[in-house]
Amino acid sequence: MERDVAIIGVGMIRWGRYPDPKQLDVFPDKTMPEMAVEAIAKALSDAKISWRQVEAMVAGVYLWVNQQAGIHGILSGTAIANLMGYTGIPIVSVANACATGQSILREAALAVASGECDIALAVAADKSAFGFFRPQSTDGRADIDYMRFVMCGETNPAYWAMECRRRMYEAGTTEEDLALVKVVTSKPAPYNPYARYQRSFTLEEVLKSPIVCDPLRLYEICSTSDGAAAVIVCEYEKAKKICKKPVYINAVTVGTPTFGDPTVRLTYLSSYKKPGVPSLSESRNAVERVYRMAGITPDKIDLIELPDNSSWHYLAYLDCILNLNPGEPEKMLRRGDLDPITGKIPTCPSGGIGAFGEAVVAQGLAQVCELVWQLRGEAGQRQVKKEVKYALAQTYGYAGNNAATILSKGW
Amino acid sequence: MTEKVKKKVPIVEGLFTWPSDQPALIASRCKKCGAIVFPKATYCPNPDCEKNSQNMETVQLSRVGKLWSWTIQYYPPPPPFKMEPFKPYAVGMVDLPEGLRVLGMLTTTENLRFDMEVELTVGKLYEDEEKEYITWMWKPVEKACKK
Repeated sequence: MERDVAIIGVGMIRWGRYPDPKQLDVFPDKTMPEMAVEAIAKALSDAKISWRQVEAMVAGVYLWVNQQAGIHGILSGTAIANLMGYTGIPIVSVANACATGQSILREAALAVASGECDIALAVAADKSAFGFFRPQSTDGRADIDYMRFVMCGETNPAYWAMECRRRMYEAGTTEEDLALVKVVTSKPAPYNPYARYQRSFTLEEVLKSPIVCDPLRLYEICSTSDGAAAVIVCEYEKAKKICKKPVYINAVTVGTPTFGDPTVRLTYLSSYKKPGVPSLSESRNAVERVYRMAGITPDKIDLIELPDNSSWHYLAYLDCILNLNPGEPEKMLRRGDLDPITGKIPTCPSGGIGAFGEAVVAQGLAQVCELVWQLRGEAGQRQVKKEVKYALAQTYGYAGNNAATILSKGW
Repeated sequence: MTEKVKKKVPIVEGLFTWPSDQPALIASRCKKCGAIVFPKATYCPNPDCEKNSQNMETVQLSRVGKLWSWTIQYYPPPPPFKMEPFKPYAVGMVDLPEGLRVLGMLTTTENLRFDMEVELTVGKLYEDEEKEYITWMWKPVEKACKK
């Protein structure tokens, strides 16, 4: 990048369901712009700067509930600025599905790296808790998502389950391995005040949970949640002056698929396979680029936040992130190498998306928030036990979106 | 049961040949590079190929393929999906000789095996007073039948 960029402040609200009629004291009614404002206020307070100092903003756009809240339901960035108070700054609204969080971090970092401004904010909020896993139109001719849903009955977990079953066949992944993912990722969940489900699970509990789309069980699939997060980035030399522990952004990028990838990714009805093109290429492309930008190799990564939307995701994305053969992540998991606190490569110390639930556009930023707290040594009882040089966050999104970030200590 | 046979119509038109005794999926093929797309597309998806709609021809895909993977969906998906009455069903991904991997429901949840041969057919998801609404489905082929 032209100018170096660091993170000077992060903030998020607790993931949950706003409002949750059964726990209104914990999850009261909040609109999406309100959730975004809360996350921004926390990030500003963390960075000890004022809203007036923010020179550019990028907002993650949530696409699925606009019928409930009109323009605020898609969370246009200016709807948030209206609540914060208009200051005339450039604001851009971005939709890259579940990869939106780090896609907007990239836009904010590029705004600073290019010299357009010195301080930029990425913010995302969304209300996924009431469900979004279905097409949003009834256009039978042009909406491919409608076609896959009504013609094939393919739900999101069904897609994950098909990939998972083939992995079990090819790599020897066992039902216990799948359950173990939840056991391991949920270990730190009781210590994360921002997680929706602040509890851990036993192997027996997971294996006894009902099968949703076999081979995947209920506790092996994440829920959908509401959530909001904000990250403030700053030109690195300036960041060192205004903050004690600026977190250096080594690289942040977005990946999309390669033509010929055999993956029939969500919303699509088919794929056209070409020899030599790997599956999940959007993830591999993002990860490969983020390593190249940072000038490091996968063996240098000390800490990972990945999209554990299901137990299959956890294993498949470890393949992509660490450049492993299917079956190797399973062995590492069994050996304890991936323990979120004590492992050789702690993975998902936040508790992961399993503990948070999927708040589609915000989760990529939540991962970054966790890495920032971990690098600054502020993660409390879930603080990883090893010295962390490089930390990586990666999120995939339906329909061919992906994003990845590498961070390190900037002090 | 005593009523006359209702007309079968696809839920979404244009995805497979119908009416037909041997329904086939309808795809586009690029005359320049051979890339195949399902459902039909106006432009070739090959990044190195020119974006000229004249290059795309309509083709019918092979009716027999190999089951790459599958799952059984145990809960009813929310609308707009509709199946009456609901019962758990299998969804699979099928590898066709053209190099395409295609999604689709399966006609059964029983005795499914990796890489088994499956054949294209149609099945009903729901009906109203006048019509039965159908989609394409993959049906296991009992014995390998190569044509």
